[in-house]
Amino acid sequence: MREAVRFHWLIWVGSAAALLVLLVPVVIVVMAGLTAGEYLTFPPQGLSLRWVVTFLRSPTFFPAYLFSLELALITTAISSVMGTMAAVYLTRSQAKGVAAMRGLFMSPIILPGLVLGLALYVSYVLTNIGLARTFGGLLVGHVLVTSPFVLATVSASLVGFDISLEEAARSLGAGPLQAFRLVTLKIIQPAVAAGSIFAFIISFGQFDLSLYLGTPNLTGLPYAMYISLRYKFEPTAAAAGIFAIALVVLSMALSSRLVNLTRLVSNARLRW
Amino acid sequence: MSVETLESNVSEPVRRKGLAFHRDRLWLLVVPMTLFFVVFFAFPVLILLADAFDKPTAGRVTPHGDFVLTNFIRFFSFPQYYNSALLTIEIAVVSSIIAAILGYPLAYLIAKLEHPTWNTVLMILVLASMQLDGVIRLYGMMVLLGDNGLINGTLIRWHYIDKPLPLMYNVFGVIVGTVQITLPFMVLSLIGVIRGISPSFEEAARSLGASPWRAFRTITLPLTMPGLLAGMLLVFALSSSSYVVAALMGGWKVWVLPIHIFERISNSGQWQFGAALSTILFVINITAVFIYLAVSSRMTGGRA
Repeated sequence: MREAVRFHWLIWVGSAAALLVLLVPVVIVVMAGLTAGEYLTFPPQGLSLRWVVTFLRSPTFFPAYLFSLELALITTAISSVMGTMAAVYLTRSQAKGVAAMRGLFMSPIILPGLVLGLALYVSYVLTNIGLARTFGGLLVGHVLVTSPFVLATVSASLVGFDISLEEAARSLGAGPLQAFRLVTLKIIQPAVAAGSIFAFIISFGQFDLSLYLGTPNLTGLPYAMYISLRYKFEPTAAAAGIFAIALVVLSMALSSRLVNLTRLVSNARLRW
Repeated sequence: MSVETLESNVSEPVRRKGLAFHRDRLWLLVVPMTLFFVVFFAFPVLILLADAFDKPTAGRVTPHGDFVLTNFIRFFSFPQYYNSALLTIEIAVVSSIIAAILGYPLAYLIAKLEHPTWNTVLMILVLASMQLDGVIRLYGMMVLLGDNGLINGTLIRWHYIDKPLPLMYNVFGVIVGTVQITLPFMVLSLIGVIRGISPSFEEAARSLGASPWRAFRTITLPLTMPGLLAGMLLVFALSSSSYVVAALMGGWKVWVLPIHIFERISNSGQWQFGAALSTILFVINITAVFIYLAVSSRMTGGRA
């Protein structure tokens, strides 16, 4: 047995600094949403749920929250199925074009969201297929930016997958689809679930695409918050943020039960 | 064991019928995603490129097949545009360096920590902060750094300063915002490579008398260079692309390319010029990818 690693004090100080940078803004949002005052001051003026109640009754923020949820659910359904299928192909095929295909499928990550939204909008207008500024058009954008994450997550779990397991099922009399469903799908299921959760959260927080694909009545929570932030710091927006934060933390805790997150991240380097 | 050797162990009837998605029918799986990406990704990007080379006509959205360089000439003739590209690159480079310095210790801690619970908790914190909507985190930062924000408000009330410190609505604010948003990506791309290094390398250096710092500097750091570069590339790309960070933390005073793109199109209807600026932004990111590939292959001596 190796003795436990001992860390240099610089590692502790540096990690603490990084965690502060990551967490302080989030803590501030939670405090701003729960403040009793008209805005957040330091030291805080006490706790209250008044802004949470205002959020739940808000004609802009609450519908925006529901819209984001709906859009994220539909996006997740599509990109999970599509991404998982492609991941199985890309990890099993020995065809020549596999690397190029993976590159294509991963590229929405480096194409700026603003540019992708613009490109989609122009092509909708050009082809006149009735997607410009519609729910369907926005959905397409969301599927494009989320499916790379499903692909990367599921691919990571398929690396090192032993195909002979599926062949064993076949030789024991299972049909081809049955063998795939009972063996392979069962084994990669946690990764598919984790990939779907990533897709869901990324779609939920997607902002840049809405600039050219959204409309006033197709507004998600990030856009509604952006509009309000340009003029004032409404605690109602922070209260809406609390609900989004809760959603993300719960999803991550859930996916940590499904897959080993550290191992997943080690395998799923987002490469192009 | 490779797939080939396994194949030969499979009994004849199974081999003839094959697996559901093996060899012959495997390609069916990739058809939906390929079609989707050709129609909704490759085609729109090409259309935008065509728009960038089209004759500028205010208010017209789509290209109609000219090939002129007017938009690009305009970009290189006006300092406000080419300086904006330089500013975009500067902010992205500075942010990626800061994110690297800040992210390395945390990634090292997570990669080496053997306590499963703490490891998972830290992973959840990093992943959750990566996935949490950027606008929400920007809200927190604006409340912290604004002229009437927590820092300035408190300092003024306690009479340390008379005027608010310029923490936001400038380049400093945009860099702070960018680092906050991109830090998790840096940490995540480092964890994988740090975990991949066998601890016995460092132990060997230590047992030969190297100080912990020297062992780190001469063994671990060079071996983690690929992950560090990949993380910096990711931060660079995310930073140069973000509209919302520059809009909120820069308060429309920091004219990076995404702000110009949006402003040209939304306020003046100059779609062709906006498309040209988008092309330049994308070319900047692609160039960063190539620099990354060149540097990382030189560093690893062509091994990676």
